[in-house]
Amino acid sequence: MKKIYFDVEKCLGCRSCELACAVSHSAAKELEKMISDKDKSLPRIKINFSKDKNYPMSCRHCKDPKCVSACMAGAISKDEKTGQILYDEKKCVGCWMCVMVCPYGAIRPNKKVKIPVRCDLCTDIGEPQCVKGCPVKAIVWADETEVDTIKK
Amino acid sequence: MKQIVIIGDSAAGVAAVEAIRKKDKESKIVVLSDENFPSYCRCVISDFLAGKVTEDKLIYRSNEFFKENNVELKLSTKAIKVDPKKNRVVAEDISDNKAEDKKARSAKLQFDYDTLLLATGASPKFPDLKGIQKKGVFGFRTIQDTKDILQFVTMADTACVLGGGLIGLKAAYGLKKRGLDVKVIIRSPNVLSQVTDKTSAELIQKRLSENGIEILTGRDVSEILGNGDIKAVKLDNNKVIACQIVIAAKGVRPNTEIISETEIKVNEGICVDEYMKTSIPNIYAAGDVAETFDVTLNKPSVNALWPHAVDQGKISGANISGDSIKYEGSLGMNSVEFFDLPLVSMGIYKESQNHEALSKIYNNDYKKVVIEGNRLVGAVLVGNINHSGVFLKLIRDKIDISQIKDRLLNENFGFADIMDLTQGVERTYV
Repeated sequence: MKKIYFDVEKCLGCRSCELACAVSHSAAKELEKMISDKDKSLPRIKINFSKDKNYPMSCRHCKDPKCVSACMAGAISKDEKTGQILYDEKKCVGCWMCVMVCPYGAIRPNKKVKIPVRCDLCTDIGEPQCVKGCPVKAIVWADETEVDTIKK
Repeated sequence: MKQIVIIGDSAAGVAAVEAIRKKDKESKIVVLSDENFPSYCRCVISDFLAGKVTEDKLIYRSNEFFKENNVELKLSTKAIKVDPKKNRVVAEDISDNKAEDKKARSAKLQFDYDTLLLATGASPKFPDLKGIQKKGVFGFRTIQDTKDILQFVTMADTACVLGGGLIGLKAAYGLKKRGLDVKVIIRSPNVLSQVTDKTSAELIQKRLSENGIEILTGRDVSEILGNGDIKAVKLDNNKVIACQIVIAAKGVRPNTEIISETEIKVNEGICVDEYMKTSIPNIYAAGDVAETFDVTLNKPSVNALWPHAVDQGKISGANISGDSIKYEGSLGMNSVEFFDLPLVSMGIYKESQNHEALSKIYNNDYKKVVIEGNRLVGAVLVGNINHSGVFLKLIRDKIDISQIKDRLLNENFGFADIMDLTQGVERTYV
């Protein structure tokens, strides 16, 4: 399966990815109009700033996902065919078990609407918008086997 | 082809079914449940009580799931005895239409097994109190408990909750949302004394009080008063509180009765080895009934928590179908939110002499870590719980934290700070 990978050497920490993600998950789907949305769209990707470097992070769609076991509402599941972690907003009760067990800290609570904020790989659009939004191509959308080749 | 019997259709039982069917489509699987609902999200019943979710939203795995997986699901079927010599489970039909018909009820059902999984869960402990059997006293564990409580809610104006643990507070929260006056009576000096440290508990307690839930600490109930129906509870200082509903939330006890006549080793829960096997080789145990190795306490313990039940069920299932997977162990870990204030607590939350505790508090944001030598053994977060899973990773993997100790309390402490120290993580950076 194709996943999102990050190139720390390239990332400038400009947060264009966060913005692109928030726009793509907003009701309005446009930056200018999104600002007046009642429920603010939050980015599924966040940059961690550590040790003078910038580390973007979003859901790893793990092979052995801790969040799936932990979800006491049965809202998180793994699509065995695609490997993607799926999330059913309608079943979620905002208990934050997934936040508690994600070793990457890649899931955050949206405290206002009581649902976790997590990457859905922009499945509805077909391509993660953070990848398009990055001005320096620090975000790679590829199969794991391709990642090393791409770097070179 | 084997015959596998699983007692319990909740987190552990379901996870076991899924793990077995990944490898083995042939063996016959029979799942027994003493409840009358398809597999449901037990931890969500407080939201059902609060009126936040409807009953249909509680379903965890529908009856179709069991059909698709070729599993014979027997609801309202209470296992009463395990006979390891005959490899047999004796059960009785407790469905409503049979309840009155003693003859039908006494007709025992028998289920023979090659391998048995005990995923019998736990039951509320009812304190030994005068009046505890009165109408209007409830445990808070099942959909049926919730429905029974809801029937009383319309006729009640006040509820008393005995116990200030997670179940007690969740029941109090649900009842408050239904418009009742709620009083929580706690023997300990603060709420959640078995879940988190004093500072974080006080933040939660304050939030509950601000939202109209009255909390009486350092008090116990001495008697439940009323003729038939409840009229009041009497406290140990002789004060009487009028109420129509009492919730007994004094913890749960593992359901081990059905094996009491066997040689299966039981301590607090059913003792299992790292393969989730009991002291009898073809009998496994998983979930709230199992006593597993606690990786922070360094000794066996019952950590009756949903995520552990799923993991243990998954491992039992895989091992029942021929794998030899070791369980990595359990630990106390809880995540909860009351009136917009979230709390995460994991591992050892109260430090002793062997520990070093670091903490930081600003307004309602509180963060504490407990360190033993060069290892993290516990963490508590209130308010901002982002990145809490990173602490869990450090605890579980017993990572040497000496290099990052000074950063643990940073607001933005996250995976980037620990990635050089971890192994076995998914690739993130190219």
